[in-house]
Amino acid sequence: MQRDTPLFTEEVLQKHVKFLKRHLLLLPASHQSTDVNLMAVVFYAFESLAALGQDIATDYQSNLKWMRSNYVSQKVTDEELSGFIGGPTMNIPDTITLSLPNTLFGLLTLVLMRDMEFFDKVLNKKTLGKFVSRCQLKENGAFVSVLDYKLGKASIIDSHDLRFCYIAVAILYTIGCRTEDDFKEYIDVDSLVEFILSQRSAFGGFGAFGEAHAGYTSCALSALKLLNKLDELSSLEKEKTLQWLIDRQVTREGCWEKQDISNEYYNEDDHGGFQGRENKSADTCYAFWCVNSISILYPNLKTMLQTEPVKDHLLNRTQNTLTGGFSKCYKEDADLYHTCLGIAALKLMEGSFNGALCIPTHAAKEFDL
Amino acid sequence: MFDIEDYKDVEPLPLTQDVTNEEELCRIMYCDEYKQVMALMRRMISKDELSVRALRLNSRAIELSPAFYTAWNYRFRIIEHLLKEETQLQGEGHDASYMLNKELDWLDEFTLNNPKNYQIWSYRQALLTQLYPHATFSREHPIMDLMLDDDSKNYHVWSYRKWCCAHFKTYGQEMAFTERFIKRDVYNNSAWSYRFSMLKHSDVDLDQELQFVLDKIEYVPQNISTWNYLGGLLQMMGTSDKLVEQLLQFSKKYIDESAFAYEFYARMSKLSGTANGKDVAQMYSHIADIDPIRDQWWNRKSLQADQGK
Ligand SMILES: [Zn+2]
Repeated sequence: MQRDTPLFTEEVLQKHVKFLKRHLLLLPASHQSTDVNLMAVVFYAFESLAALGQDIATDYQSNLKWMRSNYVSQKVTDEELSGFIGGPTMNIPDTITLSLPNTLFGLLTLVLMRDMEFFDKVLNKKTLGKFVSRCQLKENGAFVSVLDYKLGKASIIDSHDLRFCYIAVAILYTIGCRTEDDFKEYIDVDSLVEFILSQRSAFGGFGAFGEAHAGYTSCALSALKLLNKLDELSSLEKEKTLQWLIDRQVTREGCWEKQDISNEYYNEDDHGGFQGRENKSADTCYAFWCVNSISILYPNLKTMLQTEPVKDHLLNRTQNTLTGGFSKCYKEDADLYHTCLGIAALKLMEGSFNGALCIPTHAAKEFDL
Repeated sequence: MFDIEDYKDVEPLPLTQDVTNEEELCRIMYCDEYKQVMALMRRMISKDELSVRALRLNSRAIELSPAFYTAWNYRFRIIEHLLKEETQLQGEGHDASYMLNKELDWLDEFTLNNPKNYQIWSYRQALLTQLYPHATFSREHPIMDLMLDDDSKNYHVWSYRKWCCAHFKTYGQEMAFTERFIKRDVYNNSAWSYRFSMLKHSDVDLDQELQFVLDKIEYVPQNISTWNYLGGLLQMMGTSDKLVEQLLQFSKKYIDESAFAYEFYARMSKLSGTANGKDVAQMYSHIADIDPIRDQWWNRKSLQADQGK
């Protein structure tokens, strides 16, 4: 087999590693707003480091106990629930602060840390599943991300959308659900699938008010894939969704040259990258959301999509080889979220990444995911 | 106003983080105010104190940490409780709208300062559905207008507007509303998508709507939003021979400058029967030339057409 040239020189690789590790150490007060969602920060950094080939399990062995301490059990009337809280600040007596996104981030972080013992001995699948179950809305099958902190019912002030639907499914998949019956032990699969399909726009992508959005589309397709329900979409519908996704690749070539300055979001530097919606600028994170979505519908990615221009856009436009990390778009500062998804997109195109769970393939395989 | 002196009797529940402990990840060097406000609020949430001073503290906490999900939940419970108290005090039937308006004022201000936060919109929905039966759509207009002036494609605001229409059962202004944004920027896909989702609620004449979108395509042919809209409209109107012929001639004018026009032209050619599978296959091959980044996609379409799919 022919080996591709590596994505990063050793020098640039080290810059990325340094950039990522910095987010795990001492942070200035400007990071205070992430205090209540620390699991997200840890996951973004670990996922990126693991994808870059760093040995998380060894390097961060001493942090394992702290990581596990964010997995908590909380009692609602007579029922025991468990899951992850956003961080130590969210540990408040007599208050239910479990969070769906932080639970997925926490679980996947422990997968990246190869903490088999947690999954075998510490994790209570039943009570965690019950927490997920309580986040599902009876009226439409969708999910919210938190429970009312006193009543333990799905929070009425939270939004319910495709993100949380995906997260709920990914959590259940991670704790071992595979068959429809496995999922049905905790959630109403039929109404969930119905909700997901109701979010499909007339133009092929998925979204909230009829406007398709690549992030939501990735959530919808990933959830359907993990539920083994992709065939709820007809082949004609799949084809239309695929075209919507393929159309999100931004270009300056061919007839696009004629696109004039009248579109303020059109930018020559975006060539090869992906936008999240029609007529928007290219943005690093959408390279991941779109490429992941395309690969779910059409695994033979390279015969469907020109991956070289995507790579080129990420490496030469949004990668910051000085500070390390990736930015949202050309000439902006790198940030953790776009670094995570930029690297994920590159690895996905290389074929070494599990897009539906957003972790490297080798890490997923080790845990039979 | 928020004054720390009001909380002297509250025993703080301090943040547990230890900056010197290297076992902890992401040790944030909190500012003093953050530590103080969070320590008080953690205690008050834990005790579920639903009071005016709790609301003041909560405002400060949310300003410091807009993503603090439990704080929004706490805020809602406080408002709900104060409202109940007020109504009991004034007697049944008493209108406590002024209190809710004050809350919406605070939320407006917060929204303007935190345009990317998404919790504000679902919090707002909860206020209107659970606590505020006298709310009006017009009270909601200014904040949406301000937010869209700032970012005309703000996803949350467009979503919220659609929710408002359903909540207040009012759809009368929506076509005119989107037209304002389309006039300003014909590429605004949010406005076009929103308009499409509103079509079924409006009494607009579809022939007139067709002319509307054709004019916009004429203005800039290489614009995916308008071609999408035209495609959707065609599906609603049905593909009569006359209409297909009209759109065939229309799209043909732009095939040299727009891949979308060409694709539409190929579809109309097939529908009208003026082109067979081989002809359509050739058209798709040509689109691969004018849209080279998607050449694999167009070649696939070409092959499908050739095979009569
Ligand atoms: Zn982004």
